[in-house]
Amino acid sequence: MKHTRTNALIWIWTLLVIVVIYLPILCGALASFNKSRYFGFPIKIYATEWWQKTLDSIEIGMIVKTSILVALLVTVFSVVIATCGALAFARYDWKGRRLFQKLIILPIFFPQPVLGLALLLGFNAVGIQTSWMTAVFAHMVWIVPVVTLVIAIQVYGFDPALEEAAFDLGCSRIQVLREVTLPLLWPGIWSGMLFAFLLSWSNFPLSLYTTGADSTIPEWLYAKMVAGYTPMVPALGTMATLAAAVLLLVGGLAGMLLRRRAAA
Amino acid sequence: MLQTTPAGDTPKPILQLVGVRKTFGGFNAVEGIDLDVREGEFLTIVGPSGSGKTTLLRMLAGMDTPTEGNITLHGELINDMPPNKRPTCLVFQSLALFPHKSVGENIAFPLKVKGVDAATRKARALELMRVVRLPENYYDKNVMKCSGGERQRVALARAFAYDPQVLFFDEPLSALDYKLKKALEKELKDLHRETGKTFIYITHSLEEAMVMSDRIGVMRAGRLVQVGTPEEIYGAPVDRFVSEFVGEVNTIKVKRGTDGTWDGVDVPGRFTVRPPQDGATLDEAFVVIRPEYMRFLGPGDTAENRIEGTVYNEYSLGSRIQYQIRVGSGAGEKVMLVELSRSRALPPGADRAVTLGWDAADAFTLGS
Repeated sequence: MKHTRTNALIWIWTLLVIVVIYLPILCGALASFNKSRYFGFPIKIYATEWWQKTLDSIEIGMIVKTSILVALLVTVFSVVIATCGALAFARYDWKGRRLFQKLIILPIFFPQPVLGLALLLGFNAVGIQTSWMTAVFAHMVWIVPVVTLVIAIQVYGFDPALEEAAFDLGCSRIQVLREVTLPLLWPGIWSGMLFAFLLSWSNFPLSLYTTGADSTIPEWLYAKMVAGYTPMVPALGTMATLAAAVLLLVGGLAGMLLRRRAAA
Repeated sequence: MLQTTPAGDTPKPILQLVGVRKTFGGFNAVEGIDLDVREGEFLTIVGPSGSGKTTLLRMLAGMDTPTEGNITLHGELINDMPPNKRPTCLVFQSLALFPHKSVGENIAFPLKVKGVDAATRKARALELMRVVRLPENYYDKNVMKCSGGERQRVALARAFAYDPQVLFFDEPLSALDYKLKKALEKELKDLHRETGKTFIYITHSLEEAMVMSDRIGVMRAGRLVQVGTPEEIYGAPVDRFVSEFVGEVNTIKVKRGTDGTWDGVDVPGRFTVRPPQDGATLDEAFVVIRPEYMRFLGPGDTAENRIEGTVYNEYSLGSRIQYQIRVGSGAGEKVMLVELSRSRALPPGADRAVTLGWDAADAFTLGS
């Protein structure tokens, strides 16, 4: 009797948490289907015209392209740098390793608006014109540490004797990397790629300071909320969220297959 | 002096170590090793953990370079030759099988690296699987789904696929249960004979070394204390460390007496002692007698040496029985071991006061 009540409470609580987390996203999605230009519940007439307008907008097309470009470049650079960093972080024992481990984690905890401002001042000081390219760099300052941690976890679970054995069996250094290190690190690298892309895709504070005349999706959403709201804002917001969810789902499934192949 | 060569033939050494030392930040892991490894022999380096045997093996395999000294293979200096250029192969303690490759891919790996075509690779891998007694249908099996014994075989086959001149083993059997270990020791010995390759095996278990090896090297604190056949190591240890490492022993400290006999220091009595094997002249020495060379003396039995004692414990060792006998008294009390085959056991209810006896020729005399 008591047991079923506890169970019921657990269920109610879980449901409540899920509702609190997902209801706002649902509200955003609903707002984008409002025929009226202005925001207000309950919605009187539903329509898909704002979605159509969003998809047709040239301005939004450019912004989406910029966001994708930034996120892709951040992903590629972060994963390369983080893979090398993670090997140095977790595999080799060298003087100053512990300090390196702390220093590389630190940027994750900096308040991002402060980090963004600092980077903007830095770019100005050395005379670099800010644009989406400087934003790639700014994102990396925060994302490389995260990806390094994600990949380092994979490196920790890997017997260094495997690389020695490959080397002993005639592999050159490059062959060791291709035949043993990379295949075994793949699941971690894959997770790192997803993290890098999604964190860059949704980043606002760093972009705000460092994109200059260019704009990313989160920046555009903010700007339009401040001045010039239309239901295109929740429409684009919902699309960006859905894109991230799909990427996460597909990426997660692919990662699971990789992991199964590597570890089974 | 450490080298012992069988009478008549001295094959050329395949691997030669001269004054090999390895220092890690002030700590001497290996200090001054001279060793000739003969072509085709099964040599086991045995020693307690921390004796430097793994460091020695890593230098032989090319994963560490000696701080001093020379390692030559067929007369060629290989101190700085990297592992991928050495015609040697190491079977790791963890085996280091590639978890993302199947049994067949693991075995064929060295051939793939050499650029051998896929069909030849597979044929050779299957051939090696027969050699190490792995069923053919294991070719596509996930290597992580194999049992401990099967993994050993995969690791062995992979090492053979590299076609090394010398194979190194870093206690690969240590994680297995006793029965499987015993079976694999014999298989390894058979494979050594069938392939004719030179095997260098390291272990902390002398039992393992005794079963498999042509020669055994005993290491202590970075030095090779003794190198010899299992019989020599067992029958003529150079010091107490080796004698105790090889098995249980009774040790009696003795002082040279006036009339050619020796006086016991820690056990009362006068003993006839064989002169030390190395011909040294000693005033103090240790007499070491293995438990199986001790016997109980009945009335009328004779032996060159005898000690009175009391049986206070007996253990069954399967086909043998070991007795613990207390000799001496007070501060000079000591426990001696006697091991007999079951057929010669003391009858139940026999007198617990016994006389132990042994002949000088069955004991060895050591200076340290």
